[in-house]
Formats: sequence, C-alpha cells, structure tokens
Amino acid sequence: MKPAKMCKISITGHKDQLQKTIDTLYRLKLFDIQTYDGELDTGNPFDEAEEFSQMLVDTRSLLSTLPEAEGTGSFQLSQLANDIETVKEKVDEFERKQAELADEKRDVKTQLDFLKKLKGAKISIEDLEGSDTLETFVGKFDKEELEEATDHDLYEVFEGKDLNLLAYRKDRGMQEVLREIGATETKPPQIDYTGDLEKVLTTLKNRRDGIKSDLDSLQEEYREYARKWRPKLEDAESFLTERVEKAEAPLSFATTDSTFIAEGWIPHDKFNELGEELHRATGGKIHIQEEQTDEEPPTKHENNVAVKPFESLTDLVSVPRHNEIDPSFLLMLTFPLMFGFMIGDAGYGLTTLAVFYGGYRLFPAASEIFKSLMYASIATVAFGLAFGDAFGYVIFGHHSQLASATGIHLFEQIPILFHRAEHLGDVFTLSVVIGLAHVNLGYLVGFYNEFMKHGLKEAFLEKISWILLEIGAFAWYVFGAQVGAPVLLISLVMLYVGEGVEGMVEIPSLLSNILSYFRIFGVSVAAVSLAAVVNAMADPLFGMGNAVGFALGTVVLVVGHVFNTFVKIMEGFLQGIRLHYVEMFTKFYEGGGRKYAPFGGTE
Amino acid sequence: MAAIGAAAAVGITAIATAYAQAKIGAAGIGALAEDDSLFGSVLILTALPETIVIFGLVVALIATGFI
Repeated sequence: MKPAKMCKISITGHKDQLQKTIDTLYRLKLFDIQTYDGELDTGNPFDEAEEFSQMLVDTRSLLSTLPEAEGTGSFQLSQLANDIETVKEKVDEFERKQAELADEKRDVKTQLDFLKKLKGAKISIEDLEGSDTLETFVGKFDKEELEEATDHDLYEVFEGKDLNLLAYRKDRGMQEVLREIGATETKPPQIDYTGDLEKVLTTLKNRRDGIKSDLDSLQEEYREYARKWRPKLEDAESFLTERVEKAEAPLSFATTDSTFIAEGWIPHDKFNELGEELHRATGGKIHIQEEQTDEEPPTKHENNVAVKPFESLTDLVSVPRHNEIDPSFLLMLTFPLMFGFMIGDAGYGLTTLAVFYGGYRLFPAASEIFKSLMYASIATVAFGLAFGDAFGYVIFGHHSQLASATGIHLFEQIPILFHRAEHLGDVFTLSVVIGLAHVNLGYLVGFYNEFMKHGLKEAFLEKISWILLEIGAFAWYVFGAQVGAPVLLISLVMLYVGEGVEGMVEIPSLLSNILSYFRIFGVSVAAVSLAAVVNAMADPLFGMGNAVGFALGTVVLVVGHVFNTFVKIMEGFLQGIRLHYVEMFTKFYEGGGRKYAPFGGTE
Repeated sequence: MAAIGAAAAVGITAIATAYAQAKIGAAGIGALAEDDSLFGSVLILTALPETIVIFGLVVALIATGFI
C-alpha cells in the first residue's frame, strides 16, 4: 500500500573496477543513478561512447525508414559499421526510386485527367499549342452561346467530354466574347506526347499501368530487403542502446584521478543483494555504503499482482511521494465497482471486455491501463447479472424477456437485486451513499497520511474535522438544531485550528464533491436509456416478420450496440476515474514524487 | 411550468459546461502538444466543469419532484 522503502547508497572504487561495476549495475536493474552535482569532476564516457552513439542514431534512423517486417536475426559488431553504410545506401536508393516513380505517376495522372476531359474532340495534342496564326483556348463554354455572341466565323470549336478547345485567328481577339459568355479556362499541362488525342490517351494509360506495376514490384523488393535487414538492425539497436547507456553512465559519477564515486537509490531490501553481486564482480575491490540523507527518494510502487495494473492510473495524475499511501489499491477497490455499477449490463460488460482485451494486445505501451479496465468490465458483467440486464433486455427476474422469448422459465427464477430501469430512485439514493462512503474513505486515508507525517493531533484536526462536520449536518437534519449545532460548531473550530481560513473556504466544495456523485445516477440513466433506444429501433423491424426485417433489425442492433459500447467505455471510464481523481484524491493525495528509474531497466 | 424549469436547468448548465470544457479542452491539447506527461492533469481540468451540469440535473430533479 505504501511505496517501497528506498535507501541512498554510494559506491566507491578504483577506476579499474568502473567497467565491471557498471556492467553489474546494468544487469541487476536496481540502481537509480543520481547525477553527481558537486565540486569533484564528473567522469568521462568510455571511448566507445561516441562511435556507438553515432551508430545508434544511424540504426534508429534506418529503422524508422525501413518498412515493418517480422523475423529474428542477429548482427555482427565487426560488420555493423559497414552494414549500416550498405543498408543506408540501399534504403536511399529505394526511397529515391520510389519518390521518382511517385512523381512520374502524379505527372501522368495530371495529363490523363486533363485529356480525359477533352475526350471525343477530334484533335492532335499539337493543336493545343496553337500556331503562328492561330490562338487556342481550352475551357468550359457553350458552343451555341459562343456562336450567337460572335460576329464572324473565323474560329473552330472541338467539343470534348467536359472541356472544349476553341481555335481562332490571332487577329480576331475572342477574349472579350469568351468573358461575355462566362467561359472558364483550363490551362493545359505539359503533355509528354504528340499526335492524335485518343492515341495519346491510350499511351498515357499504358504508361500509368506500367508505373503502377513498377512501383508495386519496387515495394515488394523493398519489403523483401526489410525482411532481411530489419531483424538484424533491431538486434543491433538493443545492443547499442545498452552499450551507449553503459558508456555514458560515468558522466553521472564523481571522479578523481584514480577513483570513482557513484551515488543513487535502491530499494532498501535489495541492499545486501546488490552488495554481494558487486563484491563478487570486482573481487571485493569496491566499497559500498548506505548514505544518511534527508533528500527525497524516488518512488517505487510496491503492490501485489492484482493492484499493479492500477499503478499507471495513479501515475497518470501524479506519482505518489515516497511517504504517502499509494492510492493504486484504492483505485483497484472502487474504480471497477463504480464503472460496473454505472454501466451495469452483462452484454456491454462482455463487449467492453473484448475491446479492452484488444487494446491490451494492440497497444503494449498502455497494456497496464487496459488490464485495469478489464477488471472494470468484469465488474460490469457482475452488476449486469445482478440487475438482470444484457444489452438493455431484461434477462432474469420475474418479467424476464429472455424467458418469454425462449420459453425457458428457469430465467424467471434467477433472483436479481433490482431492475434499474424501474428503480431509478434507488439508483439516485445509492449514488449519494456511494459518494459519502467514497469521500470519507478519502478523508480516512488522509488521516493516515497526516498521522504518519505530522502526528495524531494534526491528522485529527485536519481530516476528522471534516467527517465530524458531515455528522453534525446529518444530526441537525435528523435530530434538530439542539444536537446538530454543537457538533457542527466543534467541527468548525477544529477545522479552523487545523486548516485555517482555507479550510473554511473549502466547506462548500465538500457539498459539491458529494453532489458530484450524482453523475453515477446520470450515467446509469444514460446507460439504461441508450440500450433501450437501440432495442426500440430494432424491435419494429423484427416485428415485420420477414427476412428483410430480420436482417435490418440485426444490423440496427449490431451497429447500435457497438456504438453504445464505445460511448459507455468513454462515460464509464471518464466519469469513474474523475470521481477518484477530483473528488476522492483531493482529500488525501499529495503526489509529485519522482518515479524510480533503475539503470538498465524500465522499472 | 416545472418541466420547463427542469429543461432550462439542465439545458443552460449543459451549455455552460460545454463552453467551459471547450476552452479548457483546447488549452489542454495545446499543453499536451508541449508535454504529454500532463495528460492526467489535463484530464482532471477538463472534467472539472462537469459538476455544473450535475447541479443542473439536481435542480431539474427537484423541480420535477423526483427528489
């Protein structure tokens, strides 16, 4: 429940032992290096650092360009520099050829698009240019209108599909007339061929197909090349990353002419393990000691397997400080319940589970969050069964639609808590109860945090005063002012002593925090109604009693419920998590810790 | 009359929430473009104005006699 206890250690040794020390630290993935900032010099990176960093940059740049490809492979360090050079040249060549073909394709497309519009006009491409005596105009205009507007016949119009070509004698300016009839001009692009329009169109189409097949085969060749090299480069990348990290580690250490001192944080219970491993690696030629310090250690979450996925949800707001309760376990307890209660439908529980599982497989970076959401889906199924709802249909209970549809009366016998659509008043009351419980749970955790940091008195004044305030208000409501007023007064005094004026100002926010839990009611109503709307749209279609109606009804159901699934994921997640972040965490959570990042590992 | 009052309560507070969230959301996306570790804080800030519409809902429920 609390982050792991950390200790600061310093490792001192002769520079001869530096490499072995770094290798061991990297392998153990325990030591969170603290960059040295003092009067001694910091160390120099190993000689290989520069060369390897350069190769790493090149490798990463190649990996970002090369097409994706599966496979395994290994590289040889002695060959790597040459290999990178070779692959770079080849990749550049592929990219250049691809760009050239793409340019040409675009060029041919422009010509084709233009000429297609002129299709049907009996012209040669040269005609577009005009001649010493003839001027040309390509554009959209009406031939009859032109005839009417012109007072001579020293021109000719060649009509195409969408565009016309007008050729006229230079000494007979037609611009005025064209403007009058509202002709719009299309400037011909540079055409690569001459001769009959139809023939050129065929030539261009052939060329377009040629380019397409060239491009396809080039891409296939490129992918083949990537399949050969990508796995090797990926292998090289992970090797180089490790070597560069190791080579640059001395930059964070303090050094003298012959010794080095590395400072950093490790989990307290790993102190002995780290010491033994380092002594074994260096033959005991190294000194490790625990430092006494009041610096703030980094935070290492320490939770069991069930709570682990919720750590990312905690870190999303802020990493906990080392000496406060890690709220991940609270999220594990209440977030899935809230999500499940709000959506409360066995059908959507299963569909959201499928979506989250998909996310879990597809996005490894966010896999922990999706895992935590899978808990929420399971809670949704559980609540769905308790409410007897699946996709908005009543499945269990005395008026089970499933029983009447299938004729199996067993479904009616299965007991349910209550049917939400008919007992929204209960959901409403429950929302406030959940709110009170949740907010006060926050105060109790806050009490513990304060107690650990500042002692019982502060904890009591700052956190219990709030709970007393609620009790006072409740007593006033139930028993009247004689009982309520004194309790309220005591709580207000405690609050003022504990938190000062700020506490007084915060009082209305307690009310707004608790009222905020009405969103549970709001989302529940929306969840019930959205499902009912989809079913109400599909029912008349099924009622038509023929195949078309059945097919359309099925489509409406599938599309509608898929849409609803995503709406519900968004509502359930955002509203559920917000109630934790804003309403509950503010009662106790400080956050702002630095996440433990051991050398050589990702955590 | 009560129904109109309830509709106004939810409608107007919903518009107010939407207006606030639009502004916060736009600024939040700007902040995320600079530093995506702010996601959690931006999420909280964007979610804050929702309380306004919840109050609207409460008023509407009181107006219609639900509570």
